[in-house]
Amino acid sequence: MIRRSALSLAPTWPRYISRRPMLAVGAGILAFFVLIAIFAPIVAPFDPILQDPKARLQPPSFAHPFGTDNFGRDVLSRVIWGARIDLQIALIGVLFPFLIGTVIGTVAGFFGKTIDTVFMRIVDIILAFPFLVLMLSIITILGPGLSSFYIAMALVGWISYARLIRAQILVLKTQDFSVAAESLGFSRSRIMFRHLLPNALAGSLVFVMSDAVLVLLNGAAISYLGLGVQPPTAEWGVMVAEAQGFITQAWWITLFPGLAIVTLAFGFSLLGDAMGDLLGVHE
Amino acid sequence: MHRFRFILYRPIQFIPVLFGISVITFVLVRLIPGDPARIILGTRASPTALANIRAQYGLDEPMWVQYLFFLKNLGAGEMGRSTLYKIDVLKLIATRIEPTLALVAAAVILSLLIAVPFAALSARRQGRPTDHVVRIVSTAGIGFPPFWLGVMLIILFSVKLGWLPVSGYGNTLGEKIQHLILPGLTIALSLSAVLTRSLRAGMIAGLKSDVATAARARGMPENIVFWRHVVPNALVPTVNLLAINIGWLIGGTVVVESVFAIPGMGQLLVRGIFTRDYMVVQGVAMTFAVATVLINLLADILTVALDPRVDLS
Amino acid sequence: MTTLLEVRGLSVAFRDHAEERQLLSDIDFSLGKGEILGLVGESGSGKSLLCRTIVGLMPSSKLHLDAGSVRLDDEEIARLPEAGMLRIRGKKIGMIFQNPTSHLDPVMRIGDQIVEGLRFHRGLGRTEALEEARSILGQVGFPDPARGLKSYAHEFSGGMRQRAMIAIALACDPEILIADEPTTALDVTIQAQILKLLMDLRAMRGLSIILITHDLGVVAQTCDRIAVMRHGRIVEQGEKRQLLANPQAAYTRELIASHPSLPDEEHRPLEHERSHVRPIFEVDDLDVAFPIGGGLFRKRRDFRALKRVSLQIFPGETVGIVGESGSGKSTLARAMLGLTPISAGHATFDGSVLTLEREATLKRLRSEAAMVFQDPFNALNPRFTIGETIAEVLRTQGETPPERIRERVGELLDMVGLERNFAGRKPRSMSGGQCQRAGIARALAVNPRVIIADECVAALDVTIQAQIIDLFRHLAETTGLTLVFIAHDLAIVRNLCERVIVMHHGQIVEEGQCDEIFRSPREDYTAALIAAIPDIDPDRPIGGTAVPAELQPA
Repeated sequence: MIRRSALSLAPTWPRYISRRPMLAVGAGILAFFVLIAIFAPIVAPFDPILQDPKARLQPPSFAHPFGTDNFGRDVLSRVIWGARIDLQIALIGVLFPFLIGTVIGTVAGFFGKTIDTVFMRIVDIILAFPFLVLMLSIITILGPGLSSFYIAMALVGWISYARLIRAQILVLKTQDFSVAAESLGFSRSRIMFRHLLPNALAGSLVFVMSDAVLVLLNGAAISYLGLGVQPPTAEWGVMVAEAQGFITQAWWITLFPGLAIVTLAFGFSLLGDAMGDLLGVHE
Repeated sequence: MHRFRFILYRPIQFIPVLFGISVITFVLVRLIPGDPARIILGTRASPTALANIRAQYGLDEPMWVQYLFFLKNLGAGEMGRSTLYKIDVLKLIATRIEPTLALVAAAVILSLLIAVPFAALSARRQGRPTDHVVRIVSTAGIGFPPFWLGVMLIILFSVKLGWLPVSGYGNTLGEKIQHLILPGLTIALSLSAVLTRSLRAGMIAGLKSDVATAARARGMPENIVFWRHVVPNALVPTVNLLAINIGWLIGGTVVVESVFAIPGMGQLLVRGIFTRDYMVVQGVAMTFAVATVLINLLADILTVALDPRVDLS
Repeated sequence: MTTLLEVRGLSVAFRDHAEERQLLSDIDFSLGKGEILGLVGESGSGKSLLCRTIVGLMPSSKLHLDAGSVRLDDEEIARLPEAGMLRIRGKKIGMIFQNPTSHLDPVMRIGDQIVEGLRFHRGLGRTEALEEARSILGQVGFPDPARGLKSYAHEFSGGMRQRAMIAIALACDPEILIADEPTTALDVTIQAQILKLLMDLRAMRGLSIILITHDLGVVAQTCDRIAVMRHGRIVEQGEKRQLLANPQAAYTRELIASHPSLPDEEHRPLEHERSHVRPIFEVDDLDVAFPIGGGLFRKRRDFRALKRVSLQIFPGETVGIVGESGSGKSTLARAMLGLTPISAGHATFDGSVLTLEREATLKRLRSEAAMVFQDPFNALNPRFTIGETIAEVLRTQGETPPERIRERVGELLDMVGLERNFAGRKPRSMSGGQCQRAGIARALAVNPRVIIADECVAALDVTIQAQIIDLFRHLAETTGLTLVFIAHDLAIVRNLCERVIVMHHGQIVEEGQCDEIFRSPREDYTAALIAAIPDIDPDRPIGGTAVPAELQPA
């Protein structure tokens, strides 16, 4: 029958959050990473790229809670500084696809016909390529580096948002309130942007969170492969790659940057789930 | 069985997609800055070889004629030569397909073996501690980077416990299976997190559905209600989810093959990028794209088999 | 008559850490062997919950059975453990539901769903069970039972699906059948068939039936006794004729008065003189076709939703368009308003031809005609307050000066009987009836000459329905509005409209003055439709044909 969103029943915010541990933990994790990224110079005990030949491959200790790597760099400090890069990857890697995809999806869904057919064909073709393979191919042309990664994301990542919004618009278009809007003589752009789009956005806002996880993992994976962020910059994927030569001697160099990715991704996922409940959207 | 007739028509519907794939791969290589002949042959090619390749690929012609040459070569099974391995790309890919295919199959099977029981356990005890644990673990599991998980599994099972080989692929079937366990598990753990969440949601919806209520109202015990009415209905969207994630799954194999040094297509791709072996990159990208299209067809067949309502013809 | 089921003092409450609500209070009733009990109430009255409680299938673990007993054949079953209930459910008490589409397993053959019960409850082998399943499908009216066994639910129409669900319930040979709104989702003619089937089964098998419905007409014509429920209580129960003739509770009287089958003598629709007036809507040989399928290899086929439809509607008239689902009545409305492409023929609005001067006609339509929709929640943008929704229309129409908009919104809310503070509320905090009033206010904001109302009361409870109909009647009488009222419910149209147009399979089968058509329909289809209307008069048989004497309750 008629779905009523939890929003209307929501008590005051603090009580609302305290009843939803998912939301609290997710927001907490994200806030934590944002804070350490902003205050990295203050909270990191060491310089992330300063090498110390005397302190090579030291296991976790009081002085180096996460141990040191093969150049004697403090793993904790590198994880903290890494938050700056990886948060940036997630943010920029989601933002542009979201904006581009929303516009394309709305237009395709609303106008239908030829525009929509052309759009769907392009989507079919791009979707035939595995996401990472296409990303890697684009990076091959542009050359390794973070900016290539962002450009590749913007070229490929919009597809999911466009499909999501298009599907929503197609459903909303048949609903009585948009037929009503047409029968009342509202202009096309008013119907599209005032009536359809705000109702269609809920789903993709929730998807932003799960997409942030995917972008983070992809960005780190590409850096791990050596095609994204370049050493000696502290980035979590790069750190795992650099550590792989020392897995028999120093597990800590691998463990901690990975845990940072897992934790941040967990925060995004929890927040996405909580938002889904809040907006009444289910994947 | 007219519902399966779409299998006959589908290859013709592939044409526009295959056309698009060929355009994209063609354009990708042409976008690389530099002399196309040298891009195809590598930097150390002789002048005669360069002249030959210009003729074969029509490189002095306009772009659209070049594309026709490209198609003609493709039709003759000609995808260029690897500058690194010095053999035809098609032959090179043929030697690398098996490990990748085996890895994908292992990952899908393992992930279903993990996801179905956990989702069932979780859905049937919704709101109880078991359910909370499964939910938290599966939510966290989505964020496990495969490259890191792979390394951690190597540290645990190969370095510390010494149970399984660190990397490589092996020659005999037994060796291959041994070498596939950790990489397969690496991908399966991430994939099963996604599957568990969706299956759990589907099963919970199924347990609350009218179908389940009707079965209970005719006195069916809860086990029959669940396994006979809830699970088959929950599996249909899962097949689709697997198909949607196939691109992601292949991306996973690219990374995981690098982690475990498995001589598959993914490793070939990454090495090709580093050594500027452009024809190999092009060939692998195209093969992956065609494979994705075929796997989607497979998923459609499976969906039609599982759900009598679906009619794609 | 021996008593089969006896419910005494049954009380159920919803309870969680935040709140407690009483959902069923002190329910008493009994059901005799071979008896049909009608349980009547509007949505939220607790009638479905009552039946779920009897079979121990409460929909949430937060619901608690606080008091009461349920005795079946002198055995207490109210607090029986799950294992004990398994031999009651299905075997002793069978259930069928409102929506057969969602209650049948979509991926399991109908035969296997029947066999499942036969094997579990009666221990039959597979071949025996299949044989038995075939005979049951025959009993419930499947023309080809052997084929029915192998089919899936989606291959049948709504009425056949309901028959399949009845077959599944009967397979376990229950003594009691609980039918929860079994015909609400069906067209009237199909409804009559299913109700007849239930009565036949009662006669053949001595089945006792609890029939849950919101429609007093359905119980009046099928049941022996009636229990009226409201807010989780039985407000009144008794023998059917006595209860209908002499209702004691005020709520029962209100329900009877709201039932549209009673011709409302004080409000006979006005007759309009119209011979010299230009029609406001004129439709000639209108065709609307939708492409279905179609692709690279398949010839595109068209589904013809409207076939050569011609009609005229005159200013100030109140016209009803009736027909069953799929008859094309909504498509006709949308085509007249220029909301759906026209394939052939002409549609004219007050002299301007939509098919020739599209832009100009659309412009006039948008400022002189408005529409009211079926689902009141769906018809309003969930993100806008009612005030914003109405103000947006006023601004687009541009006839109200900006400083007058607030005041005008208030006036419109007054007209539809909503408090002015509803301007600040959003649809999801309002009831269905309130949303529908807001939808009508939005339509009136256009200051239209015509309103087309598409099934606008179908989703509402009967008492609310009656209020909305009154509102329309009042608007038509006081403002001279032309009203095109589309409905599947003929009884409502008879009460409201002066003229009626009957549609079937995309064509107009009959039209004329309401009184005339209802008194003496010329077409068989119209006659069948009228006969199928559940009437509150217990002596009118369902479906128009007399119930044979041997099937009448003693």
